Amino acid sequence: MTEDIIALIKENVIQGRVTADDEGMDEGWVGKPGVTELVEQALAENVSVADIINKGLTDGMSVVGEKFESKEYFIPDMLASAEAVGSAMEILEPHLSKSGIEAKGKIIVATVKGDLHDIGKNIVSILLRGSGYIVKDLGNDVEPQAIVDAVKKENPQFVGLSALLTSTMVNMGETIQALKDNGLRDKVKVIIGGAPVSEEFAQSIGADGYGADGFQAVAIVESLASGSGGNS
Amino acid sequence: MLVIGEKINASNRLVAEAIIARNEGYIAGLAKAQADAGADFIDVNVGTAKQTRQEQMAAMEWAVEAVQTATDKPLAIDSDIPEVIETGMRKYGKEELVINSVNAEPEKLEAIGHLAGGRQVRLVALAMSAEGIPPTAEERLATCETIMTYLTRLGVSEEQVYFDPLVLPVSVDSGQALTTLKTLERIKVRYPQAKTVMGLSNVSYGLPNRKLINRAFLLMAAYVGLDAAILDPLDAKAMSLIKAADILVAKDPQCRRYIRAYRNGTLMA
Repeated sequence: MTEDIIALIKENVIQGRVTADDEGMDEGWVGKPGVTELVEQALAENVSVADIINKGLTDGMSVVGEKFESKEYFIPDMLASAEAVGSAMEILEPHLSKSGIEAKGKIIVATVKGDLHDIGKNIVSILLRGSGYIVKDLGNDVEPQAIVDAVKKENPQFVGLSALLTSTMVNMGETIQALKDNGLRDKVKVIIGGAPVSEEFAQSIGADGYGADGFQAVAIVESLASGSGGNS
Repeated sequence: MLVIGEKINASNRLVAEAIIARNEGYIAGLAKAQADAGADFIDVNVGTAKQTRQEQMAAMEWAVEAVQTATDKPLAIDSDIPEVIETGMRKYGKEELVINSVNAEPEKLEAIGHLAGGRQVRLVALAMSAEGIPPTAEERLATCETIMTYLTRLGVSEEQVYFDPLVLPVSVDSGQALTTLKTLERIKVRYPQAKTVMGLSNVSYGLPNRKLINRAFLLMAAYVGLDAAILDPLDAKAMSLIKAADILVAKDPQCRRYIRAYRNGTLMA
């Protein structure tokens, strides 16, 4: 019974269904309970919150990641799945501390100074939330000082910077410099992304990682999180 | 509908490599192919990540010359940086060109407005400001009003301005195409003398068979009065659809251009 509902949650994450009204990837799902209804039901049946998250949501999302990687899934598919996970996490949030579960980490994301493009950053935010991270989104055209202030206030493990323009990507380097000047550089891992950005560029400005797309961004965060030796 | 050929853009890796290596044959080849396919303007964008402003200015000078070895078609000088546009314009020397682009940021309006004012050049103006791309058609129209007011003061006439209502991917939010089309309609009512232009391909980002979506969108935009499209002129189906659409929105009197294209064998059904 417990196994069944966890498997159903996982399948509905893969199908990208928040509620019973939603279309799935495949035909024939409309009217059947979606992730939010299933999670409510699981909580009512006292199913372990850790199992819901790990074996239902996270396992489902990693299947979605593979399908996106292999080009079977497209951006709307991936966003639907991430939204399903995000809405499940909202329901589960009050139960997390009771169950002794902590969020995987906190990340501040921003499109850097001078740059107004936020689509890529928003996708990364949705995917990170879908993977169990707390995301503070500072928006677009964000001054280095505003990012410094947010790091002081929020105390995140990660800072994610985005830029779409060749004329603004230099401001990623400026932001990293501002973190250094304020003695904060060692407290956070900085990952960057955006159309003109490359691994080479990431290294040249002293970033810790580069993600070519949303799932890669999540993968980089995950590997840096485990590489840094824990979730402090 | 005017067609601005989009292929010489350094956001494409091969183009960027050709620009860095000063491979004139490659850039001239792209220019000629687009001109032959019926492009009215050849866009030139040389902005790559690794280049400084000075390097981009030098690259623009070089590219303007490279394109002119291949075709007499007028250019669209494309950059985020006003100095790069100015360099390209000076090198090009002719007045029949498109400046691509300006937006509602005051510094850009000031710099680009002075380049366009009192000349015959066409000017692409993006319906966005320093605060970003406004989410609604009303706010995008308000941004266009800010732009027009500023440009008029610098001697730019309404007919010179090609407003870009901006296109965001429907894969991320399926309401985006309608927002763009509504913005187009409103611009046409508010500024009947001004023109409109769009890069179509952004609409289909993240979806399979993108050309299908681009073409559907092209026809809808044609109906609400799109005057120019930034696209790949080597897409013969899209180019043929434009000719068909021009008839249907009464922009091809007596269907002459459509029939000529048919006789020339360039129409693709």
